[in-house]
Amino acid sequence: MKEITVREFFNARKKDLALSLITELETLNKKITSPYVNRPGLALSGYLEVFSAGRIQIFGETEVRYLQTLRDDVLFSRIKDLFMMDVPCIIISKGLSLPPVIEHLANDMQVAILSSRLSTVHLVQHLIRYLQDVFALEKTIHATLVDVFGLGILLTGKSGIGKSECALDLVHRGHSLVGDDLITLKFIDDHLIGRSGREFGHFMEIRGVGFVNVEKMFGIERVRRSKTIDLQIELMPWQENLDYERIGLSNTYAEHMGVKIPIIYLPVSPGKSVSVIVEVAAMNMILKNVGYDAAEDFNRRVQEEIRKKSMLKKSVEIQPGTNDNPIDKG
Amino acid sequence: MTTRSIKVENRLGLHARPSALLVRTATKYRSDFFIEHWGERVNGKSIMGVMMLAAEYGSELLLIANGADETYLLDEVTELFKSKFNED
Repeated sequence: MKEITVREFFNARKKDLALSLITELETLNKKITSPYVNRPGLALSGYLEVFSAGRIQIFGETEVRYLQTLRDDVLFSRIKDLFMMDVPCIIISKGLSLPPVIEHLANDMQVAILSSRLSTVHLVQHLIRYLQDVFALEKTIHATLVDVFGLGILLTGKSGIGKSECALDLVHRGHSLVGDDLITLKFIDDHLIGRSGREFGHFMEIRGVGFVNVEKMFGIERVRRSKTIDLQIELMPWQENLDYERIGLSNTYAEHMGVKIPIIYLPVSPGKSVSVIVEVAAMNMILKNVGYDAAEDFNRRVQEEIRKKSMLKKSVEIQPGTNDNPIDKG
Repeated sequence: MTTRSIKVENRLGLHARPSALLVRTATKYRSDFFIEHWGERVNGKSIMGVMMLAAEYGSELLLIANGADETYLLDEVTELFKSKFNED
């Protein structure tokens, strides 16, 4: 199981969550082990049988106002019991203040108390989004990720097959680059989110030229930080007897961390403009997503034609006295 | 060049699935391959061409193969028609 220290969390989110540290710096050493947050309402009333200790504890207005009603000795023992559960840290929303006894106890027991100026709802939403990202399953693969007409297309294939060149061509045609060569895939909300495996910026290696900086060369509009992956296109050398998809009625999928992504195996041969085909594949997928499937449509028309011919034939066959079938003559 | 005439025996005729099977089979061979239906001739290795024939149940087709492995190609293709493309 993944974990992060409260210090890492604090340093990363200080600004976005308008956080300040109430307790001493040494209290930041505990570890957050869960991607969820907890409102400890019932725990503060003394019920600790079921309690999610590994989570960040959020003290909203409910908790703070409730604590203010407690006698000092009760307050002391309830908070002590809570801290004994080894909670990673407490975040108070709306910049509310806690009775001073809690701060002393937190310093003694090394539990960080952070204060955020955000409302409880916003705080929880931000936290969940951040923690989901931090705790998400992830893997890094050798691929190139581009955004074509709003679809995230993962280009895969052997080294030297032309992934970068294809991506460059797509950028040149007005699409955008997410990352080249090393892509980190994260499993978030049943989707795969891809981003560059390194935070070095949007560089690419083009054989014969060397490194190019796509952002500098084409502008900020042609690069993306991350993108949900909708389609994978595997570039492969043209092989004479391999079964390439000819109609598009059958769907094949690649699986990454349990997510099925439609995959297209695209034969690459000299003189073939791969980027145009990638664009076409993207547009075809967009059409499918809005309910139009060209392969199905074409097949339906063929079937209709077949049906018409069969009917015509039958009607000719049942006419009495016509042995001479005009259709069979061809 | 070898030619062979054959009847479409599967009920639904040459729609997408049988056409794909036919084209995939023919593509394995080096010989040129054509199909004639009502005097219209299409390339038997082109899925678009084969589907556009819209060959219906009971219609007669002329298979034409030309090349070193023409008879093998026709044998396998004939087999497909006889087995009704595993459909009926």
